[in-house]
Amino acid sequence: MSVIFLPVLWALGGVLQPAMNLAVWQALCQEPQVFGALRHTLISALGSTVLALLLAISSVIALYPSRIWQWLTRRLAVLLAFPHAAFAVGLSFLIAPTGFIARLLAPLLEWTNPPLWLTPQDPYALSLMLALALKESWFLLWVLAAALQQQHILRALHVAQSLGYGRLQIWLQVLLPQVLPRLAGALAAVLAYSVSVVDMAVILAPSTPPPLAVLGWQWLHDNDPHYYALGSAVSVLLMLIMVGISLMGWLGYKLLVLLNQTPSGQRWRTFPLPFKATGIVSLVVLSGWLALLLLALWSVAEQWFFPDLLPQRWTLKAWWQFDGSLLGNTLLLGAASSVIAVIVTLIWLEAFPQLSSEWWYGALCLPAVPLVVAQYTVVIRFGLESTYVALVWSHLWWVLPYVLLVLAGAYRSFDTRFEIAARALGYARWQVFWRVKLPMLGRPISAAVAVGFAVSVAQYLPTVMLGAGRITTMTTEAVALSAGGNRRTLAVYALGQALLPWLVFMLMSSLAFWQARNRRGLK
Amino acid sequence: MNIKRAGLACLMGLWLTTAVQAEDWASIESKAKGQTVYFNAWGGGESINRYLDWAAQETQKRYGVTLKHVKITDAAEVVKRIKTELDAGRNTDGTVDLIWVNGENFKALKQANALYGNWVESLPNWQYVDVAKPVRQDFSESTDNLEAPWGTAQLTFMADQAKVPTPPRSAAEWLSFAKAHPGRVTYPKPPAFHGTTFLKQLLTELTPDPKVLQQPVDSARWAEQTKPLWDYLDEFHPVAWREGKTFPATQADMIPLLADGELLLALTFNPNEAANLIESGQLPDSSYSFGFSKGTIGNVHFLAIPSNAKAKEGAQVVANFLLSPEAQARKADVTVWGDPSVLDISKLTPEQQAMMTSQAKGALTEKIPTLPEPHASWVEALEAEWLKRYGSQ
Repeated sequence: MSVIFLPVLWALGGVLQPAMNLAVWQALCQEPQVFGALRHTLISALGSTVLALLLAISSVIALYPSRIWQWLTRRLAVLLAFPHAAFAVGLSFLIAPTGFIARLLAPLLEWTNPPLWLTPQDPYALSLMLALALKESWFLLWVLAAALQQQHILRALHVAQSLGYGRLQIWLQVLLPQVLPRLAGALAAVLAYSVSVVDMAVILAPSTPPPLAVLGWQWLHDNDPHYYALGSAVSVLLMLIMVGISLMGWLGYKLLVLLNQTPSGQRWRTFPLPFKATGIVSLVVLSGWLALLLLALWSVAEQWFFPDLLPQRWTLKAWWQFDGSLLGNTLLLGAASSVIAVIVTLIWLEAFPQLSSEWWYGALCLPAVPLVVAQYTVVIRFGLESTYVALVWSHLWWVLPYVLLVLAGAYRSFDTRFEIAARALGYARWQVFWRVKLPMLGRPISAAVAVGFAVSVAQYLPTVMLGAGRITTMTTEAVALSAGGNRRTLAVYALGQALLPWLVFMLMSSLAFWQARNRRGLK
Repeated sequence: MNIKRAGLACLMGLWLTTAVQAEDWASIESKAKGQTVYFNAWGGGESINRYLDWAAQETQKRYGVTLKHVKITDAAEVVKRIKTELDAGRNTDGTVDLIWVNGENFKALKQANALYGNWVESLPNWQYVDVAKPVRQDFSESTDNLEAPWGTAQLTFMADQAKVPTPPRSAAEWLSFAKAHPGRVTYPKPPAFHGTTFLKQLLTELTPDPKVLQQPVDSARWAEQTKPLWDYLDEFHPVAWREGKTFPATQADMIPLLADGELLLALTFNPNEAANLIESGQLPDSSYSFGFSKGTIGNVHFLAIPSNAKAKEGAQVVANFLLSPEAQARKADVTVWGDPSVLDISKLTPEQQAMMTSQAKGALTEKIPTLPEPHASWVEALEAEWLKRYGSQ
């Protein structure tokens, strides 16, 4: 643990040190791009986090625990495994003026040239906000689904229903107060990601100026020490934004709790939900599937110009030119970091069952932009740059907390009476762990491996920085190709990047199923 | 007599140096055997990547040198990496062995003393280089034997015959074209390489005395010399793509926009790019290339070896191979890459000459005069001023 986190924290001091100077901040304030960049960051980060939460919660309110909800949560894995950059590419194939929506409209409105739309890269960073919100709402839905699997939630729902409360009132007064605190860590991670996102922003955000994270990343790469110092100051600013918004969210939550402290017990007038529930869910889920479909189409399109709905000529050329070594690297890094992360997490949870794991989310709450530079300094010091060891180590910074996020909930809600019973029957502690706990937690553990793998596959900044370009993955290739303008090749890599984690999800869930084949209670 | 003797001495000297060089080169080649060269080069072009795959096979076969193409998006990031390594005290065993570079990135490396020197003109294949081309000057900065020329480039524009039958032929015509087609013309956002080049092109045409561009920027006269450019852009941006509020990040981003007709004009540094893109189905068959009648900016791009490179010998062997008539002819072939050669064409075999002069549909067919690159100091000054004026809107 300390091997993963402490050296980086120490090196982070070095990266941020140039920012500890008032003159740098004055220079930052005079930099013409900063205020626009700040505006883009605030809109996209705050907007996407709030919107993702709203999308996830309204889906839950509308659907839980219906059959559609079961169906939806079982299929979330595909969307969850969809890497950010790939989704951004797919979404831009959808909403751009030459995208699929415009092509659908073209014959109706008799367009021969693409419309003068502002998406993507619109001046208010709304495309980025929407993309982040959709992408993160899947993650929140998934965390919610895990939290809702506890029996007492369903019981509470039934009790409240039999007492005559309406659906909306039950959720707002009974269920959400129980569920929301468990969402806090996930929300903070979502926020941190949106604040410091670079790969998605390059594709979807405006460039005059770009959001703060992109600006900081550019400056940290500048040869001029003046701009490097500014980049360092931007990193600090990103952290302040992160802390500020989190604090606001926390206060808002406390306020809600305070206002609802003494519910009157009066039944609200029940009314049909103000939105078509299925509409929201289809927006959330459909966007992901459409993006995947467009990537698949582009990957085999030889000539596909506006306003054609389908390619004029098809080709498998881009698939034949696919570089297999990238697949190997991606698999190796993902497998190594997710398995290590799960083992470390299990040991950690077993060794410190009482310790709160909340502070772990701190790792996810640090913006990636200065962190990666700090990791690089550490790696250089040990002469390990562009080695697999260094890359696995750097990925663990993000993989480990996500794995913990997935496992800790299931682990802590594990009924300790099983443990006590097993101990009473004469099992040693490790035997209890090995023969009782591990099999019973098979499903969350395999899910954790899959999530860890997906997180590792999606890592762009650390891979590109520490891999020194010598170890490349599907993700670094996809982002490099997004600068190349060939949509066919780009689509192949984005699709490959999305399919790989999905396959691992499938593999892990069938593994969990297989492991539970003759354990009736676990099915 | 004296002159004769001096001439003889000179000849002797030449013979001696050649002999010494040959011996040196043999030892470089033997040291290079078994080395792995990490070549950091822009990875966004498929045809370039395929060409380098071929080069890697050849260097492996002929010299036992393993060439690895490290696909980067921006040479400035590599410059930063090299400097970070040197700052951290890594003076040997660096991660970069060879870098594709020119202009301000070369200047930054040169100023930081981060380049391995004194190797370029002793490469055996230097004899084929056309020294009449600006191969010893990189954006008016002397190359000082620190980087080897690799190819030449000239700013070229692309359009679709079906949509643009008569293209603009000067900066002024460009502006009136944009006014006639609002929202359909733009350029990559500076400091993207092509965007900055477009600014330099406009400035060269608009500034009262273009000769001053060959000198370092004179801050006292900056405002007066560049005012026509900013006036031009102030007029252009309101009718540009997205009203000049956002710009394509790179030149390559403009290609799909051109293909779909969202943009009517695009630009490139490779006179053969349109031909390449038609070939691969990325542009409609009716696309073509054109230039401005009074000329467009041209330059040379180079290969350099960082001072902390691990495989310096291997890097020289690779650079020498890339300069060979065979590799240069293949590179210039439009069906392969189409990057014009730095060699003197008269020193090559007829087949190699034929490969270099072959034409493909969509390539630049007209002869456009080459305008010189302004001094490297103009790059930073123009980019900073552009960002100040248009960077946040």
